[in-house]
Amino acid sequence: MPFATARTVSLHGAVGHLIDVQSDVSPGQPGLTMVGRPDATLNEARDRCRMAIINSGLVWPTTKRITILLSPADLLKSGTHFDLAIAVSVLAADGRIPKPHLTGTAFVGELTLDGNLRSVTGVLPMVLAAAERGIGRVFVPEPQAGEAAMVPGMEVLGMRSLAQVVAQLRGDEVPEAPPVAPMSGARLLSWRGDERLEETDMSDLLGLADVRFAVEVAAAGSHHLLLSGPKGAGKTSVAERIPGILPDLTRTESLELTALHSLAGILDPGQGMVVRPPYTAPHHDASKASLIGGGRGQVRPGEVSRAHGGVLFLDEFPLFRSDVIEALRQPLESGDVTIARQEESVTLPARAMVVLACNPCPCGRFSVDPGTNGCNCRSPQLRDYRNKVTGPVADRVDIVRNLVPLGRADRGDRFTVPESSAAIRERVAAARLRQAERYAGESWGLNGHAPGPVLRERWPLPEPAQRVIDDEVYSGRLSRRGGTRVHRLAWTVADLRRLQGPGVEEVAVALRLRTGDPLLIGMLERAS
Amino acid sequence: MTAAEADRLARVALARITEPGHVRLLDLVSDSGAEVVHARLLDHPEIGRRLSAVEPERELAAAAKIGLRFVVPGDDEWPPVLDDLRTAEPVQERGGVPIGLWVRGPVRLDEVGGSLAVVGARTATTYGTDLAADLAATVGEAGRAIVSGAAFGIDFAAHRGAVAVEAPTVAVLACGADRVYPQAHHQMIDHIAAEGAVVSETVPGGAPMRIRFLSRNRIIAALSAGTVVIEAALRSGALNTANWAGRLNRTLMGVPGPVTSASSAGVHQLIRTGAATLVTSGEEALELLGASGEHVLDIPRGKDRPRDGLSHLQRQVLDAVPVARGAPSVSVARVAGLPAEEVHTTLLGLEVRGMVELDGDDGWRLAALAHD
Repeated sequence: MPFATARTVSLHGAVGHLIDVQSDVSPGQPGLTMVGRPDATLNEARDRCRMAIINSGLVWPTTKRITILLSPADLLKSGTHFDLAIAVSVLAADGRIPKPHLTGTAFVGELTLDGNLRSVTGVLPMVLAAAERGIGRVFVPEPQAGEAAMVPGMEVLGMRSLAQVVAQLRGDEVPEAPPVAPMSGARLLSWRGDERLEETDMSDLLGLADVRFAVEVAAAGSHHLLLSGPKGAGKTSVAERIPGILPDLTRTESLELTALHSLAGILDPGQGMVVRPPYTAPHHDASKASLIGGGRGQVRPGEVSRAHGGVLFLDEFPLFRSDVIEALRQPLESGDVTIARQEESVTLPARAMVVLACNPCPCGRFSVDPGTNGCNCRSPQLRDYRNKVTGPVADRVDIVRNLVPLGRADRGDRFTVPESSAAIRERVAAARLRQAERYAGESWGLNGHAPGPVLRERWPLPEPAQRVIDDEVYSGRLSRRGGTRVHRLAWTVADLRRLQGPGVEEVAVALRLRTGDPLLIGMLERAS
Repeated sequence: MTAAEADRLARVALARITEPGHVRLLDLVSDSGAEVVHARLLDHPEIGRRLSAVEPERELAAAAKIGLRFVVPGDDEWPPVLDDLRTAEPVQERGGVPIGLWVRGPVRLDEVGGSLAVVGARTATTYGTDLAADLAATVGEAGRAIVSGAAFGIDFAAHRGAVAVEAPTVAVLACGADRVYPQAHHQMIDHIAAEGAVVSETVPGGAPMRIRFLSRNRIIAALSAGTVVIEAALRSGALNTANWAGRLNRTLMGVPGPVTSASSAGVHQLIRTGAATLVTSGEEALELLGASGEHVLDIPRGKDRPRDGLSHLQRQVLDAVPVARGAPSVSVARVAGLPAEEVHTTLLGLEVRGMVELDGDDGWRLAALAHD
């Protein structure tokens, strides 16, 4: 029977579908038909595969009728990584490769006309999906072998050319081939600032006792944070030190983030799995697609997803375009992004801690002291700016802090030794552990992600503590949603203080964190 | 033994058997002298027994060993400002010129005249402590000492601010000057003992009992030329210090907070009743502390705007000039409701000032300068 099946994976966001590439090579009018909803890039695969096979010194069945079906046929397919599976499937159908050798195996890779393999993005999520569907062996381009090998129990064969793949499948001696170039964009992107961030530490920051505490709470419970203050008050310095006080990613987060980096094509193959929380800081000119994700063909994860498990810092966030800010609402609330496109909608994980920063005015030179006030913003601009600051996105933030520029007393302070990131990280990790134990078996593990109704139902506050919140809500100083945020925050404060649960004191701290009121200094004490 | 030595020994003994701020005894000592009071009290059956049990020479020697000195009226180091306490009304039955002050540290009390007391809530907010530290640093940099009570919150921040700019700072304690209270501040108090002065009316070894904070507060107020209160709730001990500052005719100042903040309600009350003057920075405190004409600040006002210097007529015409598309002076005159001739002349004047410009042949419109 002139018929064979090779497997590959089609990605829709971070979800992979196992695809059967079935080829039929029979007598008839010579020609090639490919069916099963290929898009334009995939349609070009016919030419790439034909030339790759011929130029590899293998035989293309020129005189026969070739039919290729990508099944399931109703799924729209896109990408260049189908090439290898198509070529293998045609060769097997033509009897050039023993068919039994294709079972339990998937093929991922783009082909060049000379028959060499090229790197593709998204190998990790593809291999993950393949493993879930019972595939035990994958052929991938050599640079992605390390990435594919992160999937436990998977036999990974990193290959340089089609000829090598065929020889391997036949059990022949594997021929030499030039090495495959790694993805072009990768190095440039991953280089950006990572090294600089590793050198920053919370102990570099003088003063800011209030903000240091708030940031610790935010990190412990993964609460979104708004930092407001004039230029030079230290908003960016604080934000870029937050990843340093976060513990390593959990195994799931690590796999998810590595898969997202793979999709984005920024995975450094030398580094293995991404274990440290990421930090991204898109500029306020960023488009919606770059922030949320999108693009044509295969979906590229946006900055929100690339910060999954880490910190997304939006400096001067009122200057971001309104549609971009609006689009942030979903990831802020639910921890994922849905990218709706013509044919499909794709959901990617995007559970980042969002840190928003804003100035007192658009120009950032405002000061209450007339001597240093350089603000020349007009009142409509100011109104617009402040509306954005108090708009729906800011309402989804748990913690609001106002920063003031460092005073001369902080510079010469001899009695406060700023704590190191490592010391803070230890407390954050301990508080996260308490939460993980409490929420074992739930779909979330941190207070910042706990759904309000469930929290109220199963982890309520003691009566007097709840009354403090209710009083604020009834008097109109706090919205209902704000009340839920205070509830979540109170749990995190209690977890940091190693208490069984929050009481009036913890709610008082949470209320101040939420409303932007300065903390009482007694509240800053840490559990030791 | 000289008279001064006898007086000092009598004071050591008297201090040992009384609570700080005992008005009746202190007034007696101020009026009749310590030795006379000491001799009279020796005759008292119960007090006399306690008094005779005190060994003042040994106390002084023991104190000297740990770097403590006893400063009494008549000493060179005795700050005359403390004598103001003699005529001040008592507060909660406490008052009077102290019998003497136990002092630890290189700063001499007679050299801290013109100092500023910075006091406030122990349960302060970070807003308050940041302000206190900054204000203390500013005043300290101007060469004035900072006096406070080494307590949590505002006190600690005030000392911290002074130390940051290496200004002299004085901590007046409610416990003995050889002790440290609160314990959490031992590093700060040790530093002040090494670089500034730790002062107490309470005898060495004395515990920080509640009642002693009230008498302590009067020393803080009396030692300083002015007191600034930063964050005090309605029942704060800092208000007691403020009360003393008022009775001693010292400059009393208050730093406001948000009107919704309970932590600042006491300060707001002081300002509202006219007891304290509102200050928002160290510079403003310096202005009030200084002699007339010293540290005078410009009255802060908003930035000058180009329209500021215009006459009423000029403003009236300017308001009628269109922003984008020019209009002839006749139509400007109609909008302004003024005679065309007058408007034309005024427009020429405004053009010279750069407030209006000609928009081609269409007429007058506002120049960029007038948009502000």
